[in-house]
Amino acid sequence: MTGNANAMARILPRLRHHGARSLGTLAVAVLMFAGFSLTAERFGSLPNILNLAKQMSIVGVLGIGMTPVVLIGGIDLSVGSVVLLGGTVAGALLMDGAAAWLAIPAAILTGALVGAGNGWLIERLRVSPVIVTLATMIAVRGLGLVGLERFRSWIDVSNPTFDALGVGSIAGIPASAAILLVIALLGIAVLRLTIFGRQLYAVGDNEAAARLSGVAVTRVRIAAYVICGAMAGVGGILSMVRTAVVSPSIGVGLEFSAITVVVLGGARLSGGVGRIEETLVGTAILVMVLNFLTINGIPGTWQTTVTGALILLAVLLKRGLAYRSAR
Amino acid sequence: MGPQPPATVMTDSLLEMRGISKSFVGNPALIDVDLAVRRGEVHSIVGQNGAGKSTLMNVLAGVLRPEAGEIRIDGRRIAIANTADALRLGIATVYQELSLLANLSVAENIFLGRTPLRGMLIDRRKMEADARAVLEQVGCGDVDPRLPVGALPLARRQFVEIAKALSHEPSVLVLDEPTAPLGREEADRLFRIVAALKARGVAIIFISHRFAEILQHGDRVTILRNGRVVETLDMNGVTEAMLTERMIGGSAESFYAAHHPPEIADATPAAELRNIGLAGRLRDVSLAVPAGRIVAFTGLLGAGQNELARILGGDVVPDQGEVTRAGKAVDHDPRAAIRAGLCLLTEDRKAEGLFLDLSVRENITLPSLGALLRHGIIDGAAERRAVARSIDQLSIVATPTAPMRTLSGGNQQKAILARWLLRDLAVLVLIEPTRGIDVGAKADIYRDLEALARLGKAIVVISSDVPEVLGIADEIVVFVAGVIHARFVRGQVTEEELNLAIQGKE
Repeated sequence: MTGNANAMARILPRLRHHGARSLGTLAVAVLMFAGFSLTAERFGSLPNILNLAKQMSIVGVLGIGMTPVVLIGGIDLSVGSVVLLGGTVAGALLMDGAAAWLAIPAAILTGALVGAGNGWLIERLRVSPVIVTLATMIAVRGLGLVGLERFRSWIDVSNPTFDALGVGSIAGIPASAAILLVIALLGIAVLRLTIFGRQLYAVGDNEAAARLSGVAVTRVRIAAYVICGAMAGVGGILSMVRTAVVSPSIGVGLEFSAITVVVLGGARLSGGVGRIEETLVGTAILVMVLNFLTINGIPGTWQTTVTGALILLAVLLKRGLAYRSAR
Repeated sequence: MGPQPPATVMTDSLLEMRGISKSFVGNPALIDVDLAVRRGEVHSIVGQNGAGKSTLMNVLAGVLRPEAGEIRIDGRRIAIANTADALRLGIATVYQELSLLANLSVAENIFLGRTPLRGMLIDRRKMEADARAVLEQVGCGDVDPRLPVGALPLARRQFVEIAKALSHEPSVLVLDEPTAPLGREEADRLFRIVAALKARGVAIIFISHRFAEILQHGDRVTILRNGRVVETLDMNGVTEAMLTERMIGGSAESFYAAHHPPEIADATPAAELRNIGLAGRLRDVSLAVPAGRIVAFTGLLGAGQNELARILGGDVVPDQGEVTRAGKAVDHDPRAAIRAGLCLLTEDRKAEGLFLDLSVRENITLPSLGALLRHGIIDGAAERRAVARSIDQLSIVATPTAPMRTLSGGNQQKAILARWLLRDLAVLVLIEPTRGIDVGAKADIYRDLEALARLGKAIVVISSDVPEVLGIADEIVVFVAGVIHARFVRGQVTEEELNLAIQGKE
């Protein structure tokens, strides 16, 4: 009797909970890859796979940054604008003769500062994160444009370090993809192995219980926004690496891609559920779909619509899974 | 059980109470009680809760009228119909529950009901000067009589209370547990005042649960048990064991084995609540939480017990007062409370306790992760070991990796209990810990709480379930309308009496 109950308690939850959702997303990605490879002959080729990895880097890094924010039940709409501001700060420093080792951290720090501002406004002034980050999304893009004006709104990035990051590879993996991988591994370690990581989940799952368990809720939340901002700063650098320019339009709409990949991965927007591994899978799904459309000659203008449709699809799919697992 | 004491020769007594009997609804509270108190003596009265000490003192103060017996002062028979009579006859009482009004000034409190007048107006100057004079007598010359009493710390109020009694120039002064709210230094100061009064020939009746004080400062002691006088003894040669034996009517050892120690006041406080006030909820509540005991707070809904528990756990910030642990004030914040070893488990498991989508393991270790780090990261093996131990210890039916929402209510509650047991806590505060939990898990939780108390932890259980309170608590604190209305020790209150107390009746 007890033995049976124990065995049931051991097996059932795992099947119901972790298994279904995580494997579900990964399975979708694998099936998609297989299907696309079969229908578009170039899709599965090594050069295209490396291209996919490169394309994943910017959205992936932004998604990794967005993950802790979604985990605490927040949202950050300003990351696309931070990509521009971070890129502008780094580009301006390069133009003024600074070295890459100074320009890169400056962009990341800029992002972290914007994140700190977001967190402070949300937590201390108790304004909704949608409103706060909508405001900073506009204001920060404005700041980036003002900074860029000094250079006639266009900076050509010609720096050996940035050039090397753009064309170089490590063990066959493009440098930008390698950067994504390293950041992902670091992020996974933080979420899984540190107190802060656990606290992110606890705050998102049940804020009151977290507070009564001794978690400094406000501090944890602000930290999530700081991380998100810093990752957007990294996104600014990766954008410069990829296009070799800083122009007024960089980062536009990226905030939605970042949120999309987190949701595609299976995270819950109300907080408490989500993983960086899954955000990466979500990124892969988004990039594969867009890449498949491009290969098949569907114009880029359609890609935004597809992104929106994907969010809806992911949410519906998840609800179906949740329904089944509740049975 | 000694023989009945010989009739005391009462010629030298200032106050004599003879053959006093009093019963409540047919239950005798005092049976043929004799008490004689001499001029210039400190006469202690001891007895367990319910032995009749307070009833006897209430008769003396004119609060209660006895059914039989007489009271004499200086050999003259007197009638005490009400408290004013008692005061006029020179009998003043300092009650255990402070009777001062927080919003009135010190002087107004002292002269309440007999303010000096000048024509139709209050003669403030005289009132304040007179107040200063009596405050001087109790060593509180530095207290401004114009201050509202609420602005004074609790210990200071106790002295104002004594000053108020002294302003009646009593020949008999009753002190009911006067040292309970006092620290050591202040208690010493109190005994210096007592010595001075004694020298002036005042008869002092001293009630205390602290045997050390009785043995050191008392001249004679009268022991009450079940409403009767057991014996009146000269303090010479009296030991604590002798008093205990006579109080309980048996050997001390058998009693201690059967129950937890009855001397709540002597237990080391694990934490203290001082002068806690919360608008509309709690009024100036002070309470020490003893280590190694299960204390139950009970009362009607909204009587303040839940708020006090939440203040103790750092969840609610009081308007006034402080929570102290080991003499140090604890910030009103859950993190600070947890760090000080004060852990709170609320009645709303779902909303305030559980992380439903996190695993049992993550639920249990969250507040203890700091102790499970290795090189700054969580030591998975150590965490798994700790959780396996907890699950075993509390017989939780669940695997560590199962999400919390898949557990039954009883197992969820045990898991939250496990969360706190992983920490080196000093005080565990549980609000309605067995609400909505099946019988088996309930029994497990009771057993766990008792085991924790035996380990020296202070357990505070807030419960509105009277049988539960009677079953688990070593001490019961009854709240009525934001104040402590009554306190009981295990085994000394019936379900009916506790229910009455909860309703605010005596």
